[in-house]
Amino acid sequence: MTDRPTLTVDTDDPTPPYEQLRRQLTDLIEYGVLAPDDRLPPLRQLAADLGLAVGTVARTYRELESAGLIVSRRGGGTRVAAARARPPAAVLHERAAAFVRDARLLGADDEQIRAAVAAALGP
Amino acid sequence: MGGIPITVTVLYLVVAAVALTVAWLRARPSRRPPDDPRQRAIRRTTRWRWAGVAVGATLGVAVAAADPLDLGALLAAPVFGICVLVGVLIGEISVAPPGGPTRTAALEVRTVRDYLPRRMSRAVAVAAVGLLALLVVTSANSGPDDAGNPGRALDLRCPPTTAEEHGPWPGTFYSVPLAVVVLLGLVVAYVVLRNIVRRPRPGGTPDLIAVDDASRRRTARAVTGAVGILVGLPLAGVAATASWALLSTACGPAWGRPVGWFLLAAWPVVIALTVWWTTAVLVPKRATAAGVAS
Repeated sequence: MTDRPTLTVDTDDPTPPYEQLRRQLTDLIEYGVLAPDDRLPPLRQLAADLGLAVGTVARTYRELESAGLIVSRRGGGTRVAAARARPPAAVLHERAAAFVRDARLLGADDEQIRAAVAAALGP
Repeated sequence: MGGIPITVTVLYLVVAAVALTVAWLRARPSRRPPDDPRQRAIRRTTRWRWAGVAVGATLGVAVAAADPLDLGALLAAPVFGICVLVGVLIGEISVAPPGGPTRTAALEVRTVRDYLPRRMSRAVAVAAVGLLALLVVTSANSGPDDAGNPGRALDLRCPPTTAEEHGPWPGTFYSVPLAVVVLLGLVVAYVVLRNIVRRPRPGGTPDLIAVDDASRRRTARAVTGAVGILVGLPLAGVAATASWALLSTACGPAWGRPVGWFLLAAWPVVIALTVWWTTAVLVPKRATAAGVAS
């Protein structure tokens, strides 16, 4: 039970807690960390673990269900919907493009961008 | 029931005292700094469990002493078990939810099965089913005793025209209130187990999760033990009384004597199991991870 991914909520963050959870769960599902048919924690359990109201977690689950990322069944819990994970290469390219766009806005040239990536990768 | 429940209880107490002493000596808690927050939470739940034990023992003795027809002696163990369960429940509810601005939770699905001690819970389930089945059989064959108390004697029709009564017998006079209290205890146990699963974790790091899981397993073991006492001691009392009555009849159904011998052989086993379950309530150390004190 200890190798499961974790969720973090920062109550000082202006982003509402339900939205913080929604983003993290969306990433975990789209990146394939959570596989199709993986079960999500029950509402009350997750709300208790994070010290949040049950309604907050319920709203997150509702939004994820509306987006087709999860499916709730009576008696069967809440599970990741089938085939929602995107190919890792596509996600990687998308993230790299977003990083390059941000770097250009900061005024970095190609050499500085490569240096920043190399520094982030470490020795 | 002719003093048999009291005899069974005394025998159980003697064997339990020896087993508890051995278990306690083998599981003396390791000392940790008193300001360790994890230790504080564990001490609080332990205190509530012991409060349940103390209240349960007091109420159990009072209930046992209240009824001259031994109904109280039969209900003492379930009353004790329910008090322990309530103590455990209060201890679990008292675990504070996570505070502070940043909170982390592992994305996991916890179930009761993750924490229940497998062999012990199976043994308790068998005892519970056995008790309820035995009560159905004894109730179906019960009739009024000499004093007119309904369901307190074994009612036999001896062909062609005679009838025979043997009492005391665990008929409806005993089985109905016992079944009600036992079923109430099982409902309380379900609520406690659900609470053990759902209560908040102190954090999401692997270290905290490991310690927290050990604490939950220990509590689930204590709950299983309390349910074991709740069904085990009445089962021993009912089995001993029923076997005595069945083996002392001159006539009766063909199943009477084999069942009587079976129950006679079974009740010491049930006493031994109940002692095991008692150690789980009072010294639930075995299921803990390193560093979690009893």
